[in-house]
Amino acid sequence: MHHLDQIRAARGTVVTDAVSATGTEHGEYSHLVALQHRYARLAAEDPQRQRVRAELISGYLPVAEHLARRFAGRGEPLEDLIQVATIGLINAVDRFEPDRGGSFFSFAIPTITGELRRYFRDHGWSTRVPRGLKDLHMSIRSSQTQLYQQLGRAPRPSEIADQLGIPISEVIEGLQAGNAYRSSSLDEMLGEQGTATVGDLVGDFDDELAVIEDREALRPLLAQLPPRERTIIVLRFFRQLTQSQIAEQVGISQMHVSRLLSQTLTFLQERMNCAD
Amino acid sequence: MAGAAGGVGPTGVTEVHIAASTLAIPMVRTLAADLAARADFDLDTIADLRVAVDDACARLVRLAAANATLSCCFDVRLERIEVTAEVEVEDMMDPLPRGSFGWWVLRCLADEVSAVVLPGESGQGGRVCIILIKYALPAGLW
Repeated sequence: MHHLDQIRAARGTVVTDAVSATGTEHGEYSHLVALQHRYARLAAEDPQRQRVRAELISGYLPVAEHLARRFAGRGEPLEDLIQVATIGLINAVDRFEPDRGGSFFSFAIPTITGELRRYFRDHGWSTRVPRGLKDLHMSIRSSQTQLYQQLGRAPRPSEIADQLGIPISEVIEGLQAGNAYRSSSLDEMLGEQGTATVGDLVGDFDDELAVIEDREALRPLLAQLPPRERTIIVLRFFRQLTQSQIAEQVGISQMHVSRLLSQTLTFLQERMNCAD
Repeated sequence: MAGAAGGVGPTGVTEVHIAASTLAIPMVRTLAADLAARADFDLDTIADLRVAVDDACARLVRLAAANATLSCCFDVRLERIEVTAEVEVEDMMDPLPRGSFGWWVLRCLADEVSAVVLPGESGQGGRVCIILIKYALPAGLW
């Protein structure tokens, strides 16, 4: 028995095997409708609530993917659209009130497409980011930096919420949006260029590379990276700095460090595989 | 809504089963980050988890057989999250050879990493699985 089977057997989790779907085939989501009512009735502190919420989100994921595909071919990567649609879905699951009438789909579809439209509006040809989102993003970012200085570690969402006097849910939403607006228009808007001399941060790292067996394949790829990306990879994986520490040294936000790390790792993984 | 400020967030198990393609990856990493944020993990832990899930899933999708399903399980407990990601493969292959750069990256991003290769019953193909465990703040930093 493999690992997931063990977990399922142990917990009796309902598995929603919704691999393919269209927005109109509501039949295969019928089991989720009852669940939605249960979710709405569970008290906020009920321990079951989190599991039911998770089941709803994962069950409806094909709907988010389907809607994201409808917005494909307009110059934004499908991958980014799916991420934005997933955020829309999570918000829809949290905000839907079944007792007010109407189906979940009639609520979720506009919520998800609204999130997608907002993404295009803010992100397409015009680089204007809406006031509200930009303000939220900036408050979270400065609170994050301030708390990092105070605590000597990255803050938790609850600590940011306390400092800003806003609900945790808003902090989480702001963090997710910060991650979705991947191609750095937000960072550029906020004048985020980073420090010009990143190259000096790293120096020689040949000794650190000795732990990597396939270092001969890795070395030329690292050399191809732009200085800032190479610096971030070396600081995180060979100097063991946290993402917040790297953000401080390189002079960009931690969210930006995170995006650059993922993008660079994807590039390295692809190329390393070609070398096999 | 989770309103309890100051630590303890919701716990529980979430599973996702989705066609194994690169398009599944943004959904899975977004969900991972959302769950960790709601459990009130610190932002460095959330960010590392997000990057780790992205990297592990990309690795599995690359190995996946045609029409395979990517199955991910997130087990969120107090101050600890365990992610199990697995996929059906045709050729049995260690997704994280010890000492490789990929293995090193995940070791840095997560507190515990393991990979499991499970042969299929017919002797043809099987499943590969990557398990990541991430703790909230390291002890001593509270």
